[in-house]
Amino acid sequence: MIKSVSKIPPGFREITEASGFAAANGPWFEKIEGRRVWRGFLPGPQHANALGIVHGGMLAAFLDSALGSVVWRAIDRRCVTLRLTLDYLSPARVGDWLEATGELVGQDEHMVHVRGRLYGPRHDVLGGLGDFALLSTRRQIPVRS
Amino acid sequence: MIDDNPSEGFIRIDFDRGRPDPTFNTHIGNLYAKRGEKGTRDEFVMGFRVQPHMCNPAGGLHGGMMMSVADLVGTMGGGTLVGLRKFLPTVNMTFDFVAPAKVGDWVEGRAEVVRQTRSLLFTNIYLTVGEEKILRASSIAKIPSGDGFTFAKARLAREETASS
Repeated sequence: MIKSVSKIPPGFREITEASGFAAANGPWFEKIEGRRVWRGFLPGPQHANALGIVHGGMLAAFLDSALGSVVWRAIDRRCVTLRLTLDYLSPARVGDWLEATGELVGQDEHMVHVRGRLYGPRHDVLGGLGDFALLSTRRQIPVRS
Repeated sequence: MIDDNPSEGFIRIDFDRGRPDPTFNTHIGNLYAKRGEKGTRDEFVMGFRVQPHMCNPAGGLHGGMMMSVADLVGTMGGGTLVGLRKFLPTVNMTFDFVAPAKVGDWVEGRAEVVRQTRSLLFTNIYLTVGEEKILRASSIAKIPSGDGFTFAKARLAREETASS
């Protein structure tokens, strides 16, 4: 495990409040700078498909969650995914540190549009565009991971 | 952990076939499949029981789980429908999260082939709980030339990755 820990870049903190799916497929890490956020994880064999590369479903789940965090940090609003469009650009290898981030490209009182990317040490892995519905500011929900 | 109690005709899919480490499909599971008569809606159906480890903190089925299963239905199910027995890498997927699902729900996934070209397979995928649709997805998968990655080769490639 020492070897794995050393692959986590400085500034990333493990998300410890994860539960359910996120916990079962973690640990996931987060770096926050002002209103920007980066998420990262180190894929292991449990994230791989039969080819030994990271499963597309795992990449999708991770980017989706990262984009939710991007919205939360940018405008202090919780949201749920309405639509996610993903382009699988190149495979990601087990053991390579993967990172995801995104930016808001449009917003009104009910929805935000977010552009995101997930990348490894060599190249972009996944490009994404997400439409998220903003939850009411009065609604209390647990931290989304 | 609640009992999976799969619907009639569903058999658990063994993705690992004796590999030492479980792959993602096993890790997120259990996943089941049912084969029906050719040309019918139930020619290939994937199913699973929503367990707590598949959920988000709000107690609903996690979007990541829905997407993972839809991806599989598009490639494995879509490939089965057109008679391709090779690994089809996903090129693009679009997901619409139309309704939530909760712990204990039995979720089924079906693919519909939109068009098959020499190098691409276009499918629509729905995940349902009973009669209700919870996820609509649209998928484009690559059909590799030649044999592509067959599953036997895939296993070898994975072992090489593990040892490197």
